[in-house]
Amino acid sequence: MSVKGLHKIIYPFAPDQSGAASVLYELGGMIIICDAGGCAGNICGFDEPRWLQTKSAVFSAGLRDMDAILGRDDLMIEKIRKASEKLEAKFVAIIGTPVPATIATDYKALRRMAERRTGLPVITVDSNGALWYDSGIEKTYLECFRRFASVDAGNVIPGSVGVLGITPLDSDSLSSGEKICDFYSSRGAQKVVCYGAGSTVRDFAEAGRIERNIVAAVSGLKAARYLKERYGTPYECADPLIEEIRSSLPLGTEEISGKRILVIHQQIRANALREMLRNETSSSGAPAEITAASWFMMDDEISEEGDVRIREESDFFSLINDGCWDIVIADPSFRKAAGDFGGKFIDLPHFAVSGHFAGEGSVRFYT
Amino acid sequence: MIREPYSITIRELNDAGPDNIPEELVPASQLIYSSPATLAFNSPGATGFGVKRAGLAVPGSVMLLVAPGCCGRNTKLVSEIPGYEDRFFFLLMDESDIVNGDHLSRVPDAVAEIVEYLDEKPSVVMICGTCVDALLGTDWDRVCRKAEKAAGVPVRPCYMYALTREGRKPPMVLVRKAIYSLLEPAKRDPRTVSILGYFSSLTDDCELYALLRKAGIRKINEIARCGDYESYLGMSKANFNIVLNHEARTAADDLAGRLGIPYLELTRLYQIDKIASQYRAFAGSIGAEFDDSDYRKAAEDAVGRFREKHGNISIAVGEMLNANAFELSLALIKYGFNVPEIYSSISREDYVYIRHIAELSPETRVYTNLSPTMLHYDCSAARADLTLGKDAEYYHPDCPNVPWNEEKQPFGYTAVTSLFEKMTEALA
Repeated sequence: MSVKGLHKIIYPFAPDQSGAASVLYELGGMIIICDAGGCAGNICGFDEPRWLQTKSAVFSAGLRDMDAILGRDDLMIEKIRKASEKLEAKFVAIIGTPVPATIATDYKALRRMAERRTGLPVITVDSNGALWYDSGIEKTYLECFRRFASVDAGNVIPGSVGVLGITPLDSDSLSSGEKICDFYSSRGAQKVVCYGAGSTVRDFAEAGRIERNIVAAVSGLKAARYLKERYGTPYECADPLIEEIRSSLPLGTEEISGKRILVIHQQIRANALREMLRNETSSSGAPAEITAASWFMMDDEISEEGDVRIREESDFFSLINDGCWDIVIADPSFRKAAGDFGGKFIDLPHFAVSGHFAGEGSVRFYT
Repeated sequence: MIREPYSITIRELNDAGPDNIPEELVPASQLIYSSPATLAFNSPGATGFGVKRAGLAVPGSVMLLVAPGCCGRNTKLVSEIPGYEDRFFFLLMDESDIVNGDHLSRVPDAVAEIVEYLDEKPSVVMICGTCVDALLGTDWDRVCRKAEKAAGVPVRPCYMYALTREGRKPPMVLVRKAIYSLLEPAKRDPRTVSILGYFSSLTDDCELYALLRKAGIRKINEIARCGDYESYLGMSKANFNIVLNHEARTAADDLAGRLGIPYLELTRLYQIDKIASQYRAFAGSIGAEFDDSDYRKAAEDAVGRFREKHGNISIAVGEMLNANAFELSLALIKYGFNVPEIYSSISREDYVYIRHIAELSPETRVYTNLSPTMLHYDCSAARADLTLGKDAEYYHPDCPNVPWNEEKQPFGYTAVTSLFEKMTEALA
């Protein structure tokens, strides 16, 4: 039995504050990482591949020990006020890290103080660095829709599609947003909004005018449910890029027929791939037996019996070694942890896991 | 609405004086812009030899990062550097650990499990703590003693406490102390010295090696050149230590107190006349004489050749490089070049150079990489023929650049010679 929380091989995944920042990055707000510097550094230097290409007002609050110990929120608010006078920000977002989590920062009070002092809309995300990116995306979507979505949305735009769960952390490349727009446009959509990739605050404000929402990653599911409840917008879970993903896998139908296959990714991609492989093999007469697993949130409504939520590294070892899998499809950074797995390991990159897109080298400044 | 980055002329900065550095240049008074240099300056684990990589300077060591997942995320970059694979381990805190500190009770078992997992026993397990434990007031010495008992190997703490970045003992000071903390008393050898300050060695051609050897020194230790743990322990035999980076002063003080090894400090300079006078003073303090004339001439020739070929070109200087941005700028100005812009944070100590630059080039503008207004920086508004430093390249992406941030550390005359050779290559 391994010590709880001990990782000997698998490196930590993108944390919740990176997920939060990834939703907000292109919206034109001032994004304040409520940290001492390291968390903002991780976001810009590692988890946010757009940082080198597109300038965004991502700032560290630059907290120091006495700021935290004495709870000097007023000092941080004053820093935000001063910066807001020098920048044309549409809103302010304050994103939590382990530091405010440790000192139990009152985010509601922070929001009220910041709104009063800057005159700008302010959202806060109580991320804490101990959860993974999907939690941060989920919270931030909800905050954005609650804060920005118009009460009186106006008429629904016929043929409009909103896509939730598309930030670089869940994407295959920086062009995923464009590919998804093309995908739906080519199928008759009049307007496509990818929330978190090429979207604007106005898109969030007009969320109620969208005809239907697509949830491409499970981190967008709660927001889709919220929009359904508030505006009646229907949603479905789907991975619009799954055909491209499938065709990139070096696996012919004959190689998967009748095989036991484990797919590890975020739940909706894993489900979509399962569905596609299952359909392929069913028609061949020897259906594959496929299990979906994820280190990230899994929703019961879209789970099948036997699907696995992985929480500890030791769970991963057991899953791989005790499952009698013929094929494992997962991010390449899990290869090493798969150890003596005797079957076939097929790479399915996940930026939130390895920090790499498929087929690309590093996209960072420091390498 | 101001749509320009904050900057100040060096004359204005000098007139204000070290006691009145403008608020816009003081990190504590503003939000910190996520510029490339900020990531290095503000985030003690992010780039180059941050705390995590530095903590593994002891040969045969491994590291256990005890933190929420976010603190270990970018460690993957370090793990991709040859020599660092399989040396990082993580004990991830959950939400309740952040509040109640329960993770600390798991540290001894985690260290024991790591030691059992490894094929070879590590020389030391470095425990890297982060901001959460800074706020919880964790007594890492006590935790490490318990872990040492459970695992049967030395266990030492190092502190990736970004919250203390501007404190009396910031992370990069304490990690230098930590990596020498395993040295034990040994018989001193009068012909051995140790060089402290950097986590990588000096460049192989650095004249300091030759000058020391001519002065009778047979063994020159640097942690990066210690191939194994035994060799690392040999650093205890030094007759004296040479400190090349002021952040190693606390470590040197510790070694002076514990092992009785005295130390002296040398500063990395790019002004050739100052390099010469520093060597003279150094030689005098150890009772030797240095003949540095050949090295000096080579440096002067390199500067002369460059000036002859390129004239008084404009060079923008950043801080993400192996130099003090102000000292290097002063050197360049003294050699006859124009330095229109410097991108750097400022400390009181920099006024030694700022005063002189203000006399020679009062209109040089100083920008701080930390200011949110740097979002507005527009390279077309300033002329630069060449940039030095990786951060300067970020601001002038289309300008020839010498990053000058290689891992092997330049020092002395050979640093000047090599820099000007690289500048020549960049403009070729």
